[in-house]
Amino acid sequence: MKDQKEHPYVPKLKQNFAERKIDRREFLRTSTLLGVSAVAAYEFAGRIEGRSLLPKAGAADLPKGGHLRLGWRVPELDSPHTFAWGGSEFTRSTCEHLTRTGPDNVTRPWLLDRWEASDDLKTWHLHLRKGVKWRSGRDFVADDAIWNLQHVLDPDTGSSVLGLMKGYMMNEEGTAVWDANAIEKVDDHTVRLNCRNPQLAVPEHLFHYPLHILDPEDGGVFGVGANGTGAFEVVEAAIGQKVVIKNTNPHYWGEPVHLDSMEFLDLGDDPNAELNALISKQVHGVSELNVEQLPLLANIPHVQVYDVATARTGVVRMRVTEEPFGDPRVRKAMRLATDCGKTLELAIQGLGVKAEHHHVCPIHPEYAELPEMTRDPAAARALLAEAGHPDGIEVTIDCKPDPTWEIAAVQAMVEQWKEAGINAKINSMPSASYWDIWDKTAFGFTGWTHRPLGVMVLALAYRSGVPWNETAYNNPEFDALLTKAEGILDVDARREVMAEIQKLMQEDGPIAQPLWRKSFTAMDKRVKNYSPHPTLYYFADLLAIEPA
Amino acid sequence: MLLFILKRIGFMALTMLAVSVVLFALLEIDKEKVAVRVIGQYTTPEQRASWLERNGYNRPIVERYVSWLGHVAIGDFGRSVRYQGPVADVLWPRVWNTVILATYALAIIVPLSLVLGILAGMREGSKLDRAISVTCIGTTSVPEFASAVFIAALFVFVLGVLPGTSSMADGFNVLELVMPVMVLVLYDFGYVARMTRASMAEVMTTQYVRTAVLAGLPYARVIWKYALRNALIAPFTVIMLQVNWLLSGVIVVEVFFSYKGFGALLLDASLSQDVYLIEACTLVAVFVAVGTQTIADIAYTYLNPRIRFT
Repeated sequence: MKDQKEHPYVPKLKQNFAERKIDRREFLRTSTLLGVSAVAAYEFAGRIEGRSLLPKAGAADLPKGGHLRLGWRVPELDSPHTFAWGGSEFTRSTCEHLTRTGPDNVTRPWLLDRWEASDDLKTWHLHLRKGVKWRSGRDFVADDAIWNLQHVLDPDTGSSVLGLMKGYMMNEEGTAVWDANAIEKVDDHTVRLNCRNPQLAVPEHLFHYPLHILDPEDGGVFGVGANGTGAFEVVEAAIGQKVVIKNTNPHYWGEPVHLDSMEFLDLGDDPNAELNALISKQVHGVSELNVEQLPLLANIPHVQVYDVATARTGVVRMRVTEEPFGDPRVRKAMRLATDCGKTLELAIQGLGVKAEHHHVCPIHPEYAELPEMTRDPAAARALLAEAGHPDGIEVTIDCKPDPTWEIAAVQAMVEQWKEAGINAKINSMPSASYWDIWDKTAFGFTGWTHRPLGVMVLALAYRSGVPWNETAYNNPEFDALLTKAEGILDVDARREVMAEIQKLMQEDGPIAQPLWRKSFTAMDKRVKNYSPHPTLYYFADLLAIEPA
Repeated sequence: MLLFILKRIGFMALTMLAVSVVLFALLEIDKEKVAVRVIGQYTTPEQRASWLERNGYNRPIVERYVSWLGHVAIGDFGRSVRYQGPVADVLWPRVWNTVILATYALAIIVPLSLVLGILAGMREGSKLDRAISVTCIGTTSVPEFASAVFIAALFVFVLGVLPGTSSMADGFNVLELVMPVMVLVLYDFGYVARMTRASMAEVMTTQYVRTAVLAGLPYARVIWKYALRNALIAPFTVIMLQVNWLLSGVIVVEVFFSYKGFGALLLDASLSQDVYLIEACTLVAVFVAVGTQTIADIAYTYLNPRIRFT
């Protein structure tokens, strides 16, 4: 990133880091967002801290070839831009992203060569990497990136990317991009985003998992043999059974890939099946472990368990268009009736931290610490009475049994709610069925994955009218505060706005949120170059496997 | 005999027809529900109305039934919502997988339980009888979900000698069938052996057996020639019922070991409310039930000439 000017905030950022006003991760994250290359950012941080922070290369030592098999649920793959759960694992290695957020939570250019942000964060130049070709042999050019951006921002597509970008790329109503030139082609390898509002996290949004770069000629449809810029091609896909990808792209632009092929084997909803398969070496890794499975792996010599701190969570989501959840007092009563500490213990054996009902995690840089919202069933009961429910309420909560902590959390909370007069029946559904209704049911428990920034998840889940707004929450005050926070680069200043948003969520918001959890996964020790990602993504182009 | 067989097949067809009427009534008369299940419960009334019109659901009920039956008769069960493809493409490979599992299980259950049942029933009250009976009652009383966990813990975690799942990811592997078959055999052989024992014990007290023994015929000949054939009538019925159970009732075992069989498919279809897949699975299960019953009826006449169906 030599040939563009340094963003004016970068010197201040370096100074803040040198003075230890911000931590290393925040420095790396924000400096790379502002166009500093990851290598340069790591070098600067290393100089300040007196140690080398550059990731080790070591790729040359990795074994070549081989077939890697993971236990993973296999859903439909045909529409990557509308993925709402799963699917991305199988398409990521074929249809890549413009950027990539690594296991260190730092976002780097991927199909982009670099980006530049204007001083006011309203104009972003996306410079495409030259020399990238589709597997078909055609050059990857700006028109391809533009088509994909336009497709995800088309409300008819129904992509969750629209939720992330609505505040700065869409008109007020969210019905179309805000300006005809909002996505502008500068030349064959440069795209300019002209934003309606300042936005600090554009590169991170470009790695939101449905934003795969698909071949426009495929019209947004993905499947066996679909074209892509990635090294791998999907050669077999059967819902509920397996997906096989093979390293077939003769034009792949990246570093040489180690694996010949990868396979995802669907072993069903029973989490013990994946574990049994891993132990008996039928698979080399599993998608995720439940906490109760950890002791079982303690003495298995060929298995390596990985854990990673995340902003992954589950929320009791109340759809505000359905009674009785239209009344904010009822929603607050749910929060007051919930004991986050006990739920954390019962659901995941304390392997996480208590949440505070606002969906901003302590590991998010802009998290604002608020006084604890402690459980108060008497106050909850009083709020219900005030809302016209003196005898409490009867509700049914939809949830799913996999991963197991979700149903355990729901069972714990349902018991806690009784004291406040909230009698909930549990409707445990198969995972696939729950994901059919997650954004429609009146009352449910939904798992949310990690996002590197607090503003990202709030924009995805609670901004008015966006596709993943599962609660139909519609609060202009919240939207305005969120848009304001998204345009503030200085973390301390952003945190002040976040404090207001978090308080608003606690008072008026559509969720009760008991916990943040660590994630666990396991791989055979023959699997090399794997680093656990906070979202448990893997990157097939990096992995390798030792011969048996 | 030919007439009898034709009659039994006729009854079988009638039963299937009756079941198809009930199935259609339960799942398809309320066309709104069908639309909700196929295109989702949160679709708009307009979307559902359009879907119903496009798929011929606004025709008279009898016409719809006849059309549905015609399609089913040629193996066209419709399109699976869960698997996003024709039901038949998912159904038949799964049925075949379960046939394989059931064959292996039956190949062990039948000889094992008959031998044990006959040995126990030959000398009722003997030590051998007591030992076999206690073993049979013990294994049968352990449910499959418990024995599956125990067997997996032993052979996968402790001994590490068997594959932990039966997904057949690398093609058919008989080793992957060992644990599911073991669970099925453990659960089932005791029941069949107990039935055989009871039948054998009853036969051994009949006068013609006593006469044969008193007449000085060798004991083995008495058992083999006079007792066994009569003693096998009751177990044969039980075994035919086990075929039915093995083909459509081994859901726990298939799910636990990730075996892609008919039982797991039936569960998946029910949980996903995949209406056309449920219909297909139900019809197959009913066909297996009435088919095995028909075979049992026909086989009766060979085993016991006193039984005649006219």
